Amino acid sequence: MEEKPKSAMEAFEKLEKVGEGTYGKVYRAREKATGKIVALKKTRLHEDEEGVPPTTLREVSLLRMLSRDPHVVKLMDVKQGQNKEGKTVLYLVFEYMDTDVKKYIRSFRQTGDNIPSGIVKSLMFQLCKGVAFCHGHGVLHRDLKPHNLLMDRKTMMLKIADLGLARAFTVPIKKYTHEILTLWYRAPEVLLGATHYSPAVDMWSVACIFAELVTNQAIFPGDSELQQLLHIFRLLGTPNEEIWPGVSQLVNWHEYPQWTAKPLSSAVPGLDENGLHLLGEMLHYEPSRRISAKKAMDHPYFDGLDKALL
Amino acid sequence: MAADFWTSSQFKQLLDPEELNVVHPLDKERGITAEDYKLIKFHISNYIVKLAQYIKVRQRVVATAITYMRRVYTRRSMTEYNPRLVAPTCLYLAAKAEESTVQARLLAFYIKKVQSDEKYRCEIKEILEMEMKILEALNYYLVVFHPYRSLTQLLQDAGMSDSTQQTWGLVNDTYKMDLILVHPPHLIALACIYIASVQKDKENTAWFEELRVDMNVVKNIAMEILDFYDSYKLMSDENRISAAMNKLP
Repeated sequence: MEEKPKSAMEAFEKLEKVGEGTYGKVYRAREKATGKIVALKKTRLHEDEEGVPPTTLREVSLLRMLSRDPHVVKLMDVKQGQNKEGKTVLYLVFEYMDTDVKKYIRSFRQTGDNIPSGIVKSLMFQLCKGVAFCHGHGVLHRDLKPHNLLMDRKTMMLKIADLGLARAFTVPIKKYTHEILTLWYRAPEVLLGATHYSPAVDMWSVACIFAELVTNQAIFPGDSELQQLLHIFRLLGTPNEEIWPGVSQLVNWHEYPQWTAKPLSSAVPGLDENGLHLLGEMLHYEPSRRISAKKAMDHPYFDGLDKALL
Repeated sequence: MAADFWTSSQFKQLLDPEELNVVHPLDKERGITAEDYKLIKFHISNYIVKLAQYIKVRQRVVATAITYMRRVYTRRSMTEYNPRLVAPTCLYLAAKAEESTVQARLLAFYIKKVQSDEKYRCEIKEILEMEMKILEALNYYLVVFHPYRSLTQLLQDAGMSDSTQQTWGLVNDTYKMDLILVHPPHLIALACIYIASVQKDKENTAWFEELRVDMNVVKNIAMEILDFYDSYKLMSDENRISAAMNKLP
């Protein structure tokens, strides 16, 4: 009938460890048959207890559906293998991307330069396009951040990765590795304990990434949930029932210091007027008022960008 | 998992009826026939439903589990993938995929309650090993679209909300056959609504016409379902089922 599939170890040669993902190590590897460079994401299975982690199943099945989009990382294959102890491990085989937006921003921060505005625009458009595709398929990412946006240095292509790692109604609180989960890109309704999520949570993250691409600095760098909220309130003003109906009903709502909104240009100097307008549309407190990824793609900020190439 | 059926792998993987019940060479050697395939899958679907009642999972999970099982046997033999083990494993996997995880330990416990036959017993380890084999057989495509999603809305639109329970039951029964591998889910939903309206003597022609779907297809699916009900007695004949099951290792 069918040819027996090659095991991951037979088919690939590991070249180096390139990262520690949420559920295991990531390697740069060479596919022996073709010489093609790929990224292998190794997933530990706690086999004694409950087999393949549901989060892995979710990621794989979502990627099986979504990875046809040019701005979603391409899952090429899934292979089963065994580790040294003879336990089953799962390898997700991804196309290899040589950097990510976090590293890319860092390289500019180190030299004190700004990312050219044309590149910011192009990256933002690709991000909106990828997010629009996911949302169009009923999938929320829930953990968008520069680290999860892979890039190709040569072509400046951007691809969304680490998809669907979060479960349906919760955002992961702790990571399985030593990496601390960042709060910087988390929407205020999530921080305030909203139980129902909408695509708007991803748009908030997109806005934070946008600002960071312009300034090389995180716009809301909180180190606790409260701190995170205060960072947001300090720039956008403390929300109230008037500007965000229902906010005081959210579980984590308390009385907060009262700040009035400052102009966005004070936090993101160097962004042009259209850019500031788009950023503002993405940072509305009330989730239903936040611009959608699809609408964002038509925003005047992107006028003049050659969208056909992206 | 919410998503769009038309761009899904399920849409692209829909099968022709001739592609179903093609007996795998390994099974042929054991004397298993296409008719046995139907009987075994029918019996195993019922087994999944019974297990699901004990562990209390949503109907969606049951439907997804049965779909996995039926997909597995379009690609793999029953000799190598023993249906008695495939059934609980598909339920286990579907529960995870639909985000209502069930412990393997619990499943192994309820298997003993549901089936007194020793042949159905399985160890947790066997379920976990079979899980990996099934994932490979399914090529890791785990998102399944079901008729349930459009059902309530369609019924409301047709002014048939009072037939919800009856139609829902019809949809449940479609999983005792291979319909979900052959037809888009919304057409299965419409076929069930069609049957319900005929049974209730409700005149719905105008409503169906407005939907701009191929009514011939809907009526054909409805006929398949009715044919299935006609053969139900024969299908659920214990002697025939155990004769088929006994051909398995």
